[in-house]
Amino acid sequence: MLLPAPNRDILARRDAIVRRLRALVPDGVVADQAGLTAFDGDALTAYRQMALACVLPKSKEEVSAVLEFASREGIAIVPRGAGTSLSGGALPLPDAILMGMGRMNRILEIDYENRCVIAEPGVTNLSITRAVEARGFYYAPDPSSQIACTVGGNVAENSGGIHCLKYGLTTHNLLGVEIVLPGGERVRFGGKAGDGGLDLLGIVAGSEGLLGVVVEATLRILPKPPVTRTLMAAFRSVPDAGQCVADIIGAGVIPAAMEFMDRNCIGAVEDYCSPGYPRDAEGLLIIEVDGVAADAASAVKQVTEIAKAAGASAVVEAFDESERTRLWAGRKAAFPAMGRLAPDMLCMDGTIPRHALPRVLTRMAEMSKEYGLGFCNVFHAGDGNLHPLIIFDVMKEGELARAEAFGAAILQLCVEVGGVLTGEHGVGVEKRDLMPTMFSDIDLAQQQRLKCAFDSAGLFNPGKVFPSLSACVELGHMHVKGGRVPFPNLPRF
Amino acid sequence: MIVARTEADVIDAVQSALARGRTLDIHGAGTKRNYGRPVACDDVLDVSTLRGIVSYEPAELILTVLPGTPVAEVVSLLAEKKQRLGFEPADWGPLQRVSPGKATIGGVLSADVNGAAAIRYGRARDSLLGFRAVNGLGEAYKAGGKVVKNVTGFDLPKLMCGAMGTLGVLTEVTLRIYPQPSRSVVLILRDVNVEDGLAFLRRIWQSPLEATGLGYVPASAPLAHMGYVGEGAAFMRLEGEPETVKDKLAALRAIAPGAQEVEIADLFASIAGGAALAEKNCDVWRIFVPQTEAPGILRQMQTPLFNVDWAGGASWLGLPAGANGAELRAACEKAGGHATLVKADEETRGRVAPFTPEPPARRALTRSVKAAFDPKNIFNPGRMWKAV
Repeated sequence: MLLPAPNRDILARRDAIVRRLRALVPDGVVADQAGLTAFDGDALTAYRQMALACVLPKSKEEVSAVLEFASREGIAIVPRGAGTSLSGGALPLPDAILMGMGRMNRILEIDYENRCVIAEPGVTNLSITRAVEARGFYYAPDPSSQIACTVGGNVAENSGGIHCLKYGLTTHNLLGVEIVLPGGERVRFGGKAGDGGLDLLGIVAGSEGLLGVVVEATLRILPKPPVTRTLMAAFRSVPDAGQCVADIIGAGVIPAAMEFMDRNCIGAVEDYCSPGYPRDAEGLLIIEVDGVAADAASAVKQVTEIAKAAGASAVVEAFDESERTRLWAGRKAAFPAMGRLAPDMLCMDGTIPRHALPRVLTRMAEMSKEYGLGFCNVFHAGDGNLHPLIIFDVMKEGELARAEAFGAAILQLCVEVGGVLTGEHGVGVEKRDLMPTMFSDIDLAQQQRLKCAFDSAGLFNPGKVFPSLSACVELGHMHVKGGRVPFPNLPRF
Repeated sequence: MIVARTEADVIDAVQSALARGRTLDIHGAGTKRNYGRPVACDDVLDVSTLRGIVSYEPAELILTVLPGTPVAEVVSLLAEKKQRLGFEPADWGPLQRVSPGKATIGGVLSADVNGAAAIRYGRARDSLLGFRAVNGLGEAYKAGGKVVKNVTGFDLPKLMCGAMGTLGVLTEVTLRIYPQPSRSVVLILRDVNVEDGLAFLRRIWQSPLEATGLGYVPASAPLAHMGYVGEGAAFMRLEGEPETVKDKLAALRAIAPGAQEVEIADLFASIAGGAALAEKNCDVWRIFVPQTEAPGILRQMQTPLFNVDWAGGASWLGLPAGANGAELRAACEKAGGHATLVKADEETRGRVAPFTPEPPARRALTRSVKAAFDPKNIFNPGRMWKAV
């Protein structure tokens, strides 16, 4: 994975830049090597890189001041939440200021009457729910990293989670943001009642730090469903499980969650935390339904019938809350459980039409043999969002490249069957070079012109998302300041 | 009038407009001609002929259609498979004094026209998964995808919704669709004033009943076939399997013992379409405010002509013809919302900004975004704001 060559001029000015940052954010600059090591990457662990300096602002004003300075000096910015991105969205660049938002971690307002919470970007996902659950509300997007990941990062990545089948991604639960643009100016999009303008809020969600830094978010909270019921269905074959998923959705049932694990994953999870999954099953579905009691009951009945008809060897329901938690604990531990099997892991994230599940699952098993690498399948089956986990050892010659090639082949397969490269993890650096498998040059140029409308100098998170770093002027964008092409020394990568 | 029957026709039309320096008025069924600033374009590009179902996979809950396809056609196609559009687009035809049932899918997406169920399933922007379009450089491109969960690249489908055709010409749209519950019940709470009615609707909205319609209609701006409502009536719609609905009704009675089942044809469609104001001699505004703020604004404006949708999140309001709406806008802005002029004569729409005026930083950004899609200002120039 090639990243833009660092700008030598900026590297040479590092000391002066750090001094200036300390003046702007007196107690929030990390510039020593040991300190920067703590910020040298995110959950795409194969890539590590030190930032030029890391700044940890505490207020919107400090964010504005740093961005104004960076823009004036032509220094790139990499925004960072909790660093849980699986696509390298927060990977630092050696000539860029890494802006960590973790200290802006206050909940500013809870408005139950209008069902929303206003939070600073560094508030963790889970703490939104914690703050409102006593009154019977919750925040729906629940990425597996929810204990650590932050609201700002969720907005940037348009994070999903287990329950987005019914309740949507971050973008569907986001009412408003305040962002700081390159140059330091603050703008608001949306709000408790929208803003009546172009839907720039919709663009910011999932923009992967390319358009601005989120300094405040208004989130929709939902009333907690009175009844939640969780089922586990075991299958003797993976395609049977895939068929069951398609049949459930096709029957008009929209479960709150529908998760799949294959035999490799079941074994790893059983070894790790013994949730009580049947080790002999080839595929396992965890299906959760919620709503008023009768709603959940009718869904349980339908799901059970469909699963049996699709060939489930067993369908069992969690009989109480602790069993329900135990069933989920296994699914949520899939990453760490697989992580014990090998030093390194790549988690892919393609989405496919549900009818293609049996075909894609079969083909992936063949590919695993072709590439000689182990993998397991754990994914959000209800919305066709696959998370194949490829295990490898980065210390073994050629394994990283082989793992990446395997991952790329999986994602190409996803696109081939009518799907997409990423369902919830983002493009980042990880899938950047695969963008042309899904988008033409014209498609990508259109997206990049939008980027230019926000960031004409290309200072925000360069090297992420787009496979070529075209200067805005080449894209026909009109807002080029003083005729300067940004980063004249940047090679194509 | 240039008639486009294929995407290639649209490309030709745009390239020709580019070459000749002409502007294009993008025209679907023409049901919202009077929405937005008056625009004088050099040519009309008729896209109502870009019509037809590209693919419909009921088991995937995904539908791909050409944007000139009438909403009514899509709705009846989905109904055959017991499915529906989650944003339940209203028909603004009667409000705009054009015949009903004509609006196209591309039109309701572009104008961000929604209906009652949007309070549960999200607005047009939440249903549009992907699209193909022709930009102002005469290039066809695509964005989004044809699956329900996708974060690959910028979420351009959101941006196209509500952009009034100022960013490009849609040539294909892919929508997320939803199962149609087998039972749907409308309840009425009669003789409540707007404060009490909306407070009641908010309690429903804060409960787990997943209502798919929450509206208030005052006696002063009644809907057809509504019957006696006293001072006014709060309406709610509950849906699900029969057993589920029974459960929800029981829970609802705990919140509102006085609520009664009622059958009024097209009730929520009428509320969402602003039908109560269609025949009145007034300008029609749509206000969006936090739910709690709606009663205060309605009281302040002292107009008897209003209908409330989304438990107060969106309301229709009638003001005297030609009013500049400054007081309404100020009140909405103070309340954390905004107001849009949906229907007025041409002179008024030219004088009063129909779309919410933008603060300077935002205005600059909007213009840059417009330029990113339509650098030569070919599409509906000035329909939303000057220069956009």
